[in-house]
Amino acid sequence: MKHLTEEEMIEHAYGESDNIVAVERHFASCPQCAEGFADLEHDLTGVSRLNAPPRDAHYGERVWGSIAPSLPLYAHQKQRFAWFSMNAGWAKGLGYAAACALLMAGAFYAGRQWEHSKRPSMAQVEHKNPPVKQPVVVVVLDEHLDRSERFLVQLKHADVDLSEMAQPMRDEARSLLAANKVCQQKAAKSDDPELNTALEHLDTLLAQAANSPGGLNTQSISKLQQEMNSDGLLFEVRVLRSRIDDHKKDGSNTAKGGTI
Amino acid sequence: MVRMDRNDHETIQAVLSGDKEAYGALVVRHSHSLFRVAFRITGNEADADDVVQEAFLRGYRKLEGFESRANFGTWIYRIAVHCALDKVKHRRGGETSRVGDANDPELDQLQVADRSAGPERILLSGEIGSMQETALHGLTATERTAFILRHMEDRTTVEIGAALGIEPNAAKQAVFRAVQKLRRRLAPLRVAT
Repeated sequence: MKHLTEEEMIEHAYGESDNIVAVERHFASCPQCAEGFADLEHDLTGVSRLNAPPRDAHYGERVWGSIAPSLPLYAHQKQRFAWFSMNAGWAKGLGYAAACALLMAGAFYAGRQWEHSKRPSMAQVEHKNPPVKQPVVVVVLDEHLDRSERFLVQLKHADVDLSEMAQPMRDEARSLLAANKVCQQKAAKSDDPELNTALEHLDTLLAQAANSPGGLNTQSISKLQQEMNSDGLLFEVRVLRSRIDDHKKDGSNTAKGGTI
Repeated sequence: MVRMDRNDHETIQAVLSGDKEAYGALVVRHSHSLFRVAFRITGNEADADDVVQEAFLRGYRKLEGFESRANFGTWIYRIAVHCALDKVKHRRGGETSRVGDANDPELDQLQVADRSAGPERILLSGEIGSMQETALHGLTATERTAFILRHMEDRTTVEIGAALGIEPNAAKQAVFRAVQKLRRRLAPLRVAT
């Protein structure tokens, strides 16, 4: 075994040597290390243990008496902490709620933005689907043709009992004549010769019915039926109505919730 | 009235349940050992009393964090060592005339020469204790505390490390350095005897 270092001797002196037996055996065979260790023990023994001045039996009670007034009660602390933690819990909950609300608002906004970006602009919509003004005209026209059809049907069967129907039919003819003028103006802008022809034909018949001298009578009605070919006009009106019905169905598919 | 019929853990539970007076039993039970180590580290009776009070105050505030498996005596002892170390460091920081750098050999020699008029006089005047005190104060606070805990309090290096908040090996080295410095400074006494 090699000579012990000072550190190993100090370690041995305080009983923390890793191998106490081997160190003791070395001291027995190595006078130099034994002498060095003896000097160390002498020096350490010479250092007094600095004994503290004695304290009487009531020292602890005096210490307690000096610090007790400044100590808070733990139960109060706990209550305070419990209150704080409860508030902290509320705050935490509110925080979560706020976060959720913020998240939802963000998602809503993002959705709106996404939808906006995906949805073509109004100009784009208008470009792809030109303004469907036609349905407005169609609705008015359909109503007018419906009334005209009923008028023509009454006119067709008017020869049976005309006395009671003469004045109302004349009034209806006048009303339809005014409406027909409007429809003619609208139809004139469209490129629909069949419609324009039918309305023009209807205008002549309605004008005759509304303004026939002496009112509607068997003779005037017969004249309308024969000269004005009211039955043929009735057929044209029904054809136009069927076209309008088809157009209305197509329009409802292409412009659902749209401009009508 | 301080109840002493409960062990430390039962007393701690009582304190944490709102029985503040129960803490008095812990103070009474451990105040003497705390005063002893506090005095050895600070070397001053008044400072030691302050350390004891401060240690129990800190212990009370940290009592919720005390682990039930631990030993309260060891726990509060460590707190007292920390308090004493703080006291020494604070005091040394406020001193206008320090002992000097312990690593400076010239200052070491100067200190011994200043405080002693020769071995014979020391022996005759009974100033050995004063020499030792001077030598101990020449150590750093950590070395001094480590040496006191090892040499006077019979604590292991593991316990010293735990008390000082350092690794056991660092505590061992602190003890080594302290012993080496003390032997060098107290060499004149060895010649005299």
